[in-house]
Amino acid sequence: MDFSHTAERISQKITSHGHSVEKSGIEAKLKRLVEEFGVPPAEAERTVLNEFAREYDIPGFQGSGGGGAGDQKALSLLANGEWVTVECKVVALTAAPSPSIAQTGIVADESAAVRFVVWSRANAPVLEEGKWYRLESAVVDQYKGMLNLKVHSGTTIREVSHEGTLKPTITPIKDLAPGVACIRGKVVQEWEATHDRILQSGMFADETGAIRFVIWKEEGRERLNPGGIYTIYYATVDDFNGRLSLTLNTATTVPEEGDIEVNTGNSLFEGAFVHLSPGSGLVRRCPVEGCNRVLSRQNYCPVHEIQPNYHYDLRIKGWLDNGEETREVLIQRGETEGLVGMSLDQAKELAENNPLGMDEVFLRFREALLGRYLSCRGREIDNRLLVSSCELLHYTPDQLADLLNRAGGSL
Amino acid sequence: MTNGNAKGMPGRRDGVFEREPARRVFAQELRESRVHFREGQDEKSPTFVLLPTGARCNRVFFAGTLTEKKKQGEQNMFYRARVVDPTGTFFVMAGSYQPEAMQQIARLEPPCFVAVVGKPNVYQTPDGAVLISIRCESITQVDKDIRDEWVLDCARATLDRIEKSAGTPDGDRARREYTIDPGLFRKMVYEALAQLKI
Repeated sequence: MDFSHTAERISQKITSHGHSVEKSGIEAKLKRLVEEFGVPPAEAERTVLNEFAREYDIPGFQGSGGGGAGDQKALSLLANGEWVTVECKVVALTAAPSPSIAQTGIVADESAAVRFVVWSRANAPVLEEGKWYRLESAVVDQYKGMLNLKVHSGTTIREVSHEGTLKPTITPIKDLAPGVACIRGKVVQEWEATHDRILQSGMFADETGAIRFVIWKEEGRERLNPGGIYTIYYATVDDFNGRLSLTLNTATTVPEEGDIEVNTGNSLFEGAFVHLSPGSGLVRRCPVEGCNRVLSRQNYCPVHEIQPNYHYDLRIKGWLDNGEETREVLIQRGETEGLVGMSLDQAKELAENNPLGMDEVFLRFREALLGRYLSCRGREIDNRLLVSSCELLHYTPDQLADLLNRAGGSL
Repeated sequence: MTNGNAKGMPGRRDGVFEREPARRVFAQELRESRVHFREGQDEKSPTFVLLPTGARCNRVFFAGTLTEKKKQGEQNMFYRARVVDPTGTFFVMAGSYQPEAMQQIARLEPPCFVAVVGKPNVYQTPDGAVLISIRCESITQVDKDIRDEWVLDCARATLDRIEKSAGTPDGDRARREYTIDPGLFRKMVYEALAQLKI
């Protein structure tokens, strides 16, 4: 097979960039690829061309044939499995989770934002936050419903200048999908952290809905103010066991003035109280500022260890059931005292003067609640109702006549 | 019973743990149930009793009168209890795997009104008779108010099943498996309601 034409083509492309190469060397490389390794000629041409391009640091050309770089695309049009060329800005960099990864973060253009990963083996130049780059032959893949841009050894990266500023689009919370998004809303709740790597977790809401958020502990990361309004740029939206949540470690959070009308989630659920979960009744909470976690029996906080100066609280965790559907309910102290007919002070006294201690309070709660019909209002998240108001339902014969008619209608 | 904005909230999608609801069923209907099946192949998959009015039932909730309790067994002690509603009797059991329910029964003094949450099981005795018993998850003393509320709740749920189960997979299966016409349970509902004061 004759490689001289192909070699000529490659040679011309290289020389046009001001470098000179031996044509015989090109021919030898092509021949070796095609005859020894069975590479198709078009792919061999691309391979050799890329090799020189890399060697002479010539950006911006890819041979035809093979996978190819694809046309330049807007980030919003990316699809799983594609090879793409994109021009985008690095808007966030995050700590690489593994040595095989050189950099991770988020890139954005006018249309959208995606996560990116630069493999260590790619030997790519280090990307800097805030700069625009042209990435050629990056690969799009998908993990847990979220698209990722992968920079591998075949990707060429070039810094580019870009006119104008990038104006991110704000997504309403109810329209969020796994990926990267910018949102504006309010920190409506702060929860006790369930893990000592969590800096803060809670609920973020806007006019359309609410979503849980988490900030992992990391150098320089700060907590959000409960009740504060923020615009959050480039948060990662994860899908975990069918629940969406925001991870803010990639994000830039900007406090905003004023207040917004959040969707307060005024869900109503009525049903029988069928299960009182452990952790209900009298609990001890960690006194460390902003922690408030429930302590174990030994007064052990998962983060702040032994805390002898705990403070007491009352709460109900359990399940309501209407015969068709169930809801986990979480009831705070204010409503709890009314439902159970026991104040915090009475509960403390009971626990102190009883051999079973706090367990006695749990047992009293169980006897007072199980089997009762409750009507609860509050914010609903993932089948769980965070109750803001509730009342016991009582027998009223109002519906009796109706039901008798329904039952007896065809007798 | 109504509920507010359940569907359509963010995050409420497949894969979220959902507790099996506790069906409201009168003793007489439960006693007629025979079909007991497991959903899925896994040893831990939930089991269901198919109610003659056409709904699957993994758990029940009822309120009635505790009329009798009996401690049985030496090493594997357990309690048997009878709880009566306007239509018949529920047979309730609490064994060593339900220590909390056992302690609850131990403290109760029949007769009294109780609310029970439990899982139904179908047993066949050696002579071929079929028994339904409730493995008790919890049993608490309540007042008559709750019992009456439950009778209304159960009447409504039973009528809903009678009127709406036809055409659903479980409704059609019940009509195949049982010879009883679900409509016959209307009479039971009527009689249960007739015992309440207006």
